[in-house]
Amino acid sequence: MSQWLNQVIEHASVPSDFLATVRQQSRETLQQQGWPGRRAESWRFTPLTSVAKREVKSATDVTAQHAPEIDGLNAIELVFVDGKLTTDCDKLEVPDGVLIATFDNLSEAEQQRAAKVFGQVKPEHHVFGLVNDVASEQGVFIDVADNVTLEKVIRITNLVSQDVDAHTRVAVNIGENASARIVEHAQGDTPSMTTAFVEYMIGDNAHLEHYRFALMAGQAKQIGGSHFALHNGSTLNSTIVGYGSELSRLDVDIIHRGEHADAKMNAVYLLAQGELFDLHSNIEHTQPNGTTEENARGIIGDNARAVFNGRIHIHRDAQKTLAELNNRNLLLSRKGLINTKPELEIYADDVKCAHGATVAEIDEEALYYLLTRGISRSKALVILNFGFIQELVNQVPDDAIREWLLPKLSERFTRMEVK
Amino acid sequence: MSEQSEQIDRALERKYDAGFYSDIESETFENGLDESVIRRISAMKNEPEWMLDWRLKAYHAWLEMDEPEWAHVHYPKIDFQAVSYYSAPKSMKDKPQSLDEVDPELLRTYEKLGIPLHEQEMLAGVAVDAVFDSVSVVTTFRSKLEEAGVIFCPISEAIQKYPELVKKYIGSVVPRSDNFYAALNCAVFTDGSFVYIPKGVRCPMELSTYFRINQENTGQFERTLIVAEEGSYVSYLEGCTAPQRDENQLHAAVVELVAMDDAQIKYSTVQNWYPGDENGKGGIYNFVTKRGICHTNAKISWTQVETGSAVTWKYPSCILKGDNSVGEFYSVALTRGRQQADTGTKMIHIGKNTRSTIISKGISAGRSNNAYRGLVSMGPKADGARNFTECDSLLIGDTCGAHTFPYIESRNPTAIVEHEATTSKVSDDQLFLCQQRGMDPEKAVSMIVNGFCKEVFKELPMEFAVEAGKLLEISLEGSVG
Amino acid sequence: MLKIQNLHASVEDKTIIKGLDLEVKPGEVHAIMGPNGAGKSTLGYVLSGRDGYEVNEGTATFNNQDLLDMDVEERAQSGLFLAFQYPVEIPGVSNMEFMKESVNAIREKQGKESLTAAEFLKKAKEACKQVQLPLAFLKRGVNEGFSGGEKKRNEIMQMILLQPTLAILDESDSGLDVDALQVVADGVNSQRDGERSFIVVTHYQRLLDYIKPDFVHILADGKIVKSGDASLAQEVEKNGYAFLGKKYEESEV
Repeated sequence: MSQWLNQVIEHASVPSDFLATVRQQSRETLQQQGWPGRRAESWRFTPLTSVAKREVKSATDVTAQHAPEIDGLNAIELVFVDGKLTTDCDKLEVPDGVLIATFDNLSEAEQQRAAKVFGQVKPEHHVFGLVNDVASEQGVFIDVADNVTLEKVIRITNLVSQDVDAHTRVAVNIGENASARIVEHAQGDTPSMTTAFVEYMIGDNAHLEHYRFALMAGQAKQIGGSHFALHNGSTLNSTIVGYGSELSRLDVDIIHRGEHADAKMNAVYLLAQGELFDLHSNIEHTQPNGTTEENARGIIGDNARAVFNGRIHIHRDAQKTLAELNNRNLLLSRKGLINTKPELEIYADDVKCAHGATVAEIDEEALYYLLTRGISRSKALVILNFGFIQELVNQVPDDAIREWLLPKLSERFTRMEVK
Repeated sequence: MSEQSEQIDRALERKYDAGFYSDIESETFENGLDESVIRRISAMKNEPEWMLDWRLKAYHAWLEMDEPEWAHVHYPKIDFQAVSYYSAPKSMKDKPQSLDEVDPELLRTYEKLGIPLHEQEMLAGVAVDAVFDSVSVVTTFRSKLEEAGVIFCPISEAIQKYPELVKKYIGSVVPRSDNFYAALNCAVFTDGSFVYIPKGVRCPMELSTYFRINQENTGQFERTLIVAEEGSYVSYLEGCTAPQRDENQLHAAVVELVAMDDAQIKYSTVQNWYPGDENGKGGIYNFVTKRGICHTNAKISWTQVETGSAVTWKYPSCILKGDNSVGEFYSVALTRGRQQADTGTKMIHIGKNTRSTIISKGISAGRSNNAYRGLVSMGPKADGARNFTECDSLLIGDTCGAHTFPYIESRNPTAIVEHEATTSKVSDDQLFLCQQRGMDPEKAVSMIVNGFCKEVFKELPMEFAVEAGKLLEISLEGSVG
Repeated sequence: MLKIQNLHASVEDKTIIKGLDLEVKPGEVHAIMGPNGAGKSTLGYVLSGRDGYEVNEGTATFNNQDLLDMDVEERAQSGLFLAFQYPVEIPGVSNMEFMKESVNAIREKQGKESLTAAEFLKKAKEACKQVQLPLAFLKRGVNEGFSGGEKKRNEIMQMILLQPTLAILDESDSGLDVDALQVVADGVNSQRDGERSFIVVTHYQRLLDYIKPDFVHILADGKIVKSGDASLAQEVEKNGYAFLGKKYEESEV
C-alpha cells in the first residue's frame, strides 16, 4: 500500500447516489489489490514512487477559468478547474436530444442510462481508474439520444492551477444512429496529481469523433483514460496528443462489443527535456467482422522517456477481424529512452492482424533529397522529424482543431533539441 | 468447422515416435532437494571443492527466488521436492572406456531414436555426445577432434580435465542467480557438453549432443558450455526426446556460449521432448536458459525447431558486447494438443554497429497456445546498431492461440529497430488450390506449413534440416482418407 | 562552368567511374547515354555529393569552385540541381513547405530576400501549371502517392522554381508516356536561355528528339568512350551499343 492510496481511500466521501454500489465495490477492490508492485507489468516502465509517497491535497479557492482558445471551434464547453466542475450545466446551450448534467442532477431514467456507462467500459483493475471511481466527486453524464447528430463539439477541459489532487469523471452515451464529436483537453503544470477518466458507450451505427489532448506539463502528474465500447456498426475516429510531464500516463481501451464496428486511432507524442509519457492502448475484439487501425508516433527529446504498450486481443468469436497497429518512434538524444511493446493475443484463426514497431533514425535517402535542394542539414532534420508527426496530424478530421494543433506542435517541436 | 478445417485437424493428429522407455537398471536418487543432495551429486562427479561451493551458492540464491509467472503459460505449481535430481544407468558407474563396454541396451536406445553411436554407422561429419538422464554415455569422434585441438567432452569430465577453462567461463554468460531455473540448474546440473575451439580453428565436423530423459520422476538439468576462441568456428546441434508418461517431468538446462573476437558459433536445436497427450496429460516442462556473448566481430546464430514439450519457456539470447558483432535467432515453434510455448529471444546491443535478426514462426493448432516473447535492447553506446524482427503466426483451427510480446528498448538515437508481426491461417483457398492440383490435404497442409517455415529451415545444418522436415511431417502426418 | 577531369569514384569499395572527363560550358546541353551499369546514375550522385559515393581520384570544378569539397546543400545552393530518377517520398511534409524552404535557402545564399508566402505561392502555382500538375499537388506530401510520371514532373517543377545554373536530369524520361515526356521536355526547354546548362542522362534516344543536345557522350564502364553531336544518338538508336564490343551487344537500347 502507498501512503497516498491510503489517504485517498480514507478521504473519499463516497456519495450515496445511484453509483454508490459500484463505487463501494471499487473501494473494496482497491483495498484488496493494493498498490501495484514493482513487477506489475502495466507499470513496469513507469515508476509510481512519486505518487505513492504523495500527501493528498484538496483544492482551496477554485476560481472559474476559460478553456484554452481554439480558433474557429464551435464548442459546448465543460471546464473542470482543480477537479471542480466550474461550468453550470443548466446554463449550457444544448440542442434537443442532448443531455449534459452532473450525476446528482439526473432523473431516474437518466440515472439508469448513466449507470450503464459508469464503470462499465474501463478495465476492472486499473488502480487509478478505481481511485477515480472512489474519489471523483462531481461526475458529468453526456447523453446523445438515438438518431441525433450533434453539430457542435463538446469539449471537456481539465485545468490545474495549484498543488492539488483532482479526480474528474465523465460518462458518455451515444445512442443508436447518433453522431457526436467530443474533445478531452487537459492543461496545466502545477505539481498536481490528476486522474481523468471518460467512458464512452457508442450505440449501434453511431459515430464518435474523439480527441484527447493530454497536454499537462512540468510537475503535473496526469493519469487518465479514454475507454470506448463499440456496438454493431458503430465507428470511432480518435486522435490522441500527448505531452510528457513528470508523470503522464494515458490508457485507451477500444472494445468491439458488436459486429462490424470500425475504429481508427491516431496518437502523437512529443516529449521534451526530462518528460515521461506512457500510452497504453488496448484493443479488444470480442465480436466478428470488426476493424481497427491504430497509428502511434512519438518524438523523444533530451532526457525524455516514452513508453508505449499497444495490445490487440482477438477473442475466440471475433472471426474476420482486421486489426493493425503501428508504433514509430524517433529518439533525438542519447539520453532519451523509448520502451515500446506492441502485443498480439489471438484466439481466432480467420483474422488478419499485424503490428509493427520501429525506433529509427531519419531516412537517409529523404535527407539527401532535401540537401540536394539546398536545404541545410539542421533545417532538413527538423522538416523530416516534424513531417513524421505531421503525417498523422494532417489526418485530423476537424479543420479548426488541425489548424490549431499544427503550429502548437511545431512550436513545441522546435524547442526540442535536435542533434 | 468446415470440412477442410477438419481435414487439417486430422492431418495434425500426431504420433510421438520417441515415446518408448528403455528398461535399464539405474541408480536414481530418492526424490527431494537439499544441501546433502547437491553434495552427493558433486561427490558422484568427483568434483573439486570450488565447484561444490559454486553449486551451494547457487542453491542458496535459488531458495530466495520466486518462480517466474510472467510467461503466457499455465501449469500446476511444481513440487521441487517430488523430483529426483540424479539418475544414471548402473552400467555407467565404472565409466566405460569405449563403446564396446557400454551397455548394449543403451546403444539400442539411441539406435531406435535414429542416433547410431558406432562411428562407422554415423553420419560422417557429426560427432555426438549422448546424454542419458544425468550422465553422458559416450562422445564419438573424440580423437579426430583432438587432432584439430578441439575439446568435445561431457562437462563433468571437463571439470576434472580442464578446470581452469571451466572455472573461467562457467556462469560468465548466465550468472548463477540469473533466474529461478538457471539458479536451480547451477545447483544440481548433472552433465552436458563442453566444447572448446582454439584460436583460428574451424571445427572439422558438426558437434552434436543428444539428450534423452528415460527414468521416471527425474529431472534433467544439463549444462552446456561452448567457448570459441578468436577467429574460430563451430556448428553445434542439439536434439532431445523422452518417453511417453502421464506425469510431467522437468527439464531445466543452461547453455552458455562465448564467442571471442571474430569467432562464430552456430547453435541449432531440434526439441522433441514428449509433449503430453491430447488432453494435456504428461509431457516435459522445458524451462531453459540459453545465452551467448559476442565479442568484437563475433557472431552467434541460434536456430531452433521446437515441436515437443508440454510447456516451453525458452529464450536463447545474444549479448552483443563487441563492436560489429552479430546475433541471429531463427525459430519454428509448433504447438498442438494442449501444448504451451512461450519462446523467443533477447538481443542486447551494447557495442557499436551491432546487428541482430530475429525470425520467428509460430504454428498453433489444437487447443495449444504459442507465444513469441522477445527483447531488443539498444544501449547508449550501440551507435549504428540495427535490429530486424519478423514474427509470423499461423493458426490452424479456432481453438488455439497465437501471441506476440516483443519488448523494444532504445537509448541510442542512431540505432534502428524494426519489428513486424503478422498472423494468418492455412486458408481454404490455399488448400483448395493444392487439392485441385491433385494433392491430398495432408500433403497440402504439410507443404504450406513447410513453406511458412522455410526461412528458418534454411538456417539449419543439412542433417538437421532433414530431421526437422521429417519431424514436421510426422507431426502433420495423420489419418486423412 | 563544369569541368571534370580524370574522375574516379566508387560505391562500397566498388569502382564505378573510372577516369571520366567532361566539360560543360554555359548554355550547353550534354546528353550522356550508355548501357545499363555504365555508371550514369552514379555520375549524378557523385556530382551532387551523395553519402557513400567516394571520389578516389580526379577533380571537378563548378564555376571555378572545387565542387568535390562542398556539402550536398552547398552544391545545390551554388546552382547545381539533380532531377532524380526515383524521387523519394516524404510523407507528412507538404510539397509546398518543402519547396519554399528550398527556394529560400538558395535565395539566401544568393543574397536575395526570402520570398513571402504569397510571392512563393504565385510562383509555385505557375510552375505547377507549367508541368501540368493539379494545384492540389502542392498541398500533398512530397511525392507521396504520386505516380512515376507525376514524380518526374514534380522534379521538373522544382527545377523551374529553383532556377539552377546546371541541371542534371537522371533518366527523367524513364517510365513516361509520350504526353508526359512532352511535358518534361517542354519544362526543360523553357529553361534554356543560353546561360543555363543541362546534363541529360538517358538510356534511350527518344528524349533527345524533344530536348536537342549540343553534345552526346557515350558512357561505358565508367568512362566516356565516344563523343559527338546529336547524330551519335541516332547512330546508337539504330545500331545499339554493339560498337562497344561484345559485352554490350545484348544491351537493349
